[in-house]
Amino acid sequence: MFQLTRRHMLAGLAGTAAMGSLATGFDRAAHAQGAPYVVNTYGGRWEKFWRAQLLPKLEPMLGRPVKLDIGLGNGWVSTFRAAGKDKSPFDVLMTNERYAVMLRDEGLLAPMPAAKITNLADVYPLARYKNDAAVTGIVSPIGIAYRTDLVKAPPTTWRELWDAKYKGQLGFYSVNNSLAVMFLMLAGKLFGKDELDLDTGFKKLAELKPFPQVDFSGAMAPLLTQGQVAIAPIDFAEAVALQQKGVPIGIVVPQDGVLMFDQSFNVAANAADKDASCKYIDFMLSPEVQTLLAKEFFTAPVNSKVKVPDELQAAIPVSGDNVSKILTFDWQFVARNREVMLDRWAKEI
Amino acid sequence: MRKTPLWSTWLLGAPVLVLLFVFLVLPYGEMVAMSFRTPATSAPYGNAWTFAHYLKALGDPFYLGVLGYTLAVGTLIAVLTLILSYPIALHLARVGDRWYLLFYACVVSPLLVGVLVRNFGWMIVLSFSGPLNQILLALGLIEQPLRLLFNLPVVVLGLVHVFVPFMVLPITNALRNIDPALEEASHSLGATRWETFCRVTLPLSLPGVLAGVTLVFALAISAFVTPALLGGQNVVLMPSIVIQQLIGAFAWPFGAALAMALSLAMLIEIGVLTLAMRPLLRRVARWS
Repeated sequence: MFQLTRRHMLAGLAGTAAMGSLATGFDRAAHAQGAPYVVNTYGGRWEKFWRAQLLPKLEPMLGRPVKLDIGLGNGWVSTFRAAGKDKSPFDVLMTNERYAVMLRDEGLLAPMPAAKITNLADVYPLARYKNDAAVTGIVSPIGIAYRTDLVKAPPTTWRELWDAKYKGQLGFYSVNNSLAVMFLMLAGKLFGKDELDLDTGFKKLAELKPFPQVDFSGAMAPLLTQGQVAIAPIDFAEAVALQQKGVPIGIVVPQDGVLMFDQSFNVAANAADKDASCKYIDFMLSPEVQTLLAKEFFTAPVNSKVKVPDELQAAIPVSGDNVSKILTFDWQFVARNREVMLDRWAKEI
Repeated sequence: MRKTPLWSTWLLGAPVLVLLFVFLVLPYGEMVAMSFRTPATSAPYGNAWTFAHYLKALGDPFYLGVLGYTLAVGTLIAVLTLILSYPIALHLARVGDRWYLLFYACVVSPLLVGVLVRNFGWMIVLSFSGPLNQILLALGLIEQPLRLLFNLPVVVLGLVHVFVPFMVLPITNALRNIDPALEEASHSLGATRWETFCRVTLPLSLPGVLAGVTLVFALAISAFVTPALLGGQNVVLMPSIVIQQLIGAFAWPFGAALAMALSLAMLIEIGVLTLAMRPLLRRVARWS
């Protein structure tokens, strides 16, 4: 029979405390060998790719261990703001431009030391920024996916989605997804004055109701698979992944313009290791990494030296010089009108 | 019997008090304070104080409408869960000890499966190419598969399914606490089984009913995942509006004010229900 006495308890507590101090000892040892350089990316396939393909090449290049910060754009915005200008959570932020533009406006991000990033010279104009405030390192083109067995006459343009025959078959994104914002502005551009014509955008979008809204394209995939949604704007990578699983999916490159999910790379205002930051961005823009990204995520390479391999041409319908035809949006305007857009979205859509 | 000194009782309670203070009181206090702060862009909130967020949350017909709708849906879910759970609880309270464990395990088992998994289960069952549509097609009841997902009835169904155990357990406990002699006395005085149920069993189980209804109502109006997944953002309830404000617009103070308004409305509704049931509860207190 085991009896717990005060002495046992004290011994146990002392043991626990000893374990704790051992652990902190290990921690100090790790720091002594060089603190890890933190790089951010998304979970799931992204995390796997970064771990398996990029980190083994990046660590020897930087001469430091590299640690991943897994999350989402809105979370990084909050952590950067909470940490403040003087102490950013990590040096290089990769995120959708819609989030980066807010942090840049607030002075939490600084222009890149462009001279130290040699691959910048080969990057398409579409991906370059004024004063090299940042660089778009990853471009995932977006078109229309449809179920070949449920849609007899697929649309060839965005404009055709308003055709009555598609009503009830469409799927879209919730306002927290940048694709929802892009689509709203696209509707303003197609049917109103220009992309900033929100009144027309909201009016036209409301005409398409009812439609389910998902938070991200990974959540649209199962709805297309089940046939719950028959037509949806989606990035080609997600659509090709569905085709490879045997789902009867057709892909349309809309004649009135291709959209994109962008990942802009930004240097924090007070980056602790500017040198490593330049090396990391240069590495991400290099032909080697751009090719790896294209193979893994069917992204359109931003480096003009990369030619999309023949076997990927079908999966990456927009690449090379055509990249310049991708529609871009004024994210600064979006950031300034964020609350109005959200309010109206909640009320009208 | 040795009397335990007061300090040791407090010492035993200390971990719980610390835990509650650090993980409930502090964050909640921060939320309340944040809901009165001015908005800011370069920080979560500004330094000045304001009532504007509450004026917007309680003055804008849209947000008031969402609040009312959320409370109505929560009430509907609590009532439906009660209607479904009471017979289960009655049966569970009546079975012998050997069966009780088995049935108890059956009632509790859904809690061992995450809400996400259960929601996806419904999504598969009700989907365009799912089993329900297949059965209806095979029976010739429909010619084309139906799009059944993403509406209020599906959200209500999903939430009722999740909440049944939370209603069954407190009611079962209340029913098992009723002295069988009371029901026998009622029978021997000539009451039918139905009269006995209405005039003895049901009133005596009211404390359990109140606990279950309160718990389910509170959970229902604060549910986010199920309305998002099964409602496909077409069913607009307050939690999803709060989340949109917090992570979409980064409007933390306004989001906090909306969350506070929801909590306050919930407290008021639960308070009114408790007060309305007080005379009944007082009458049965002598017997339970």
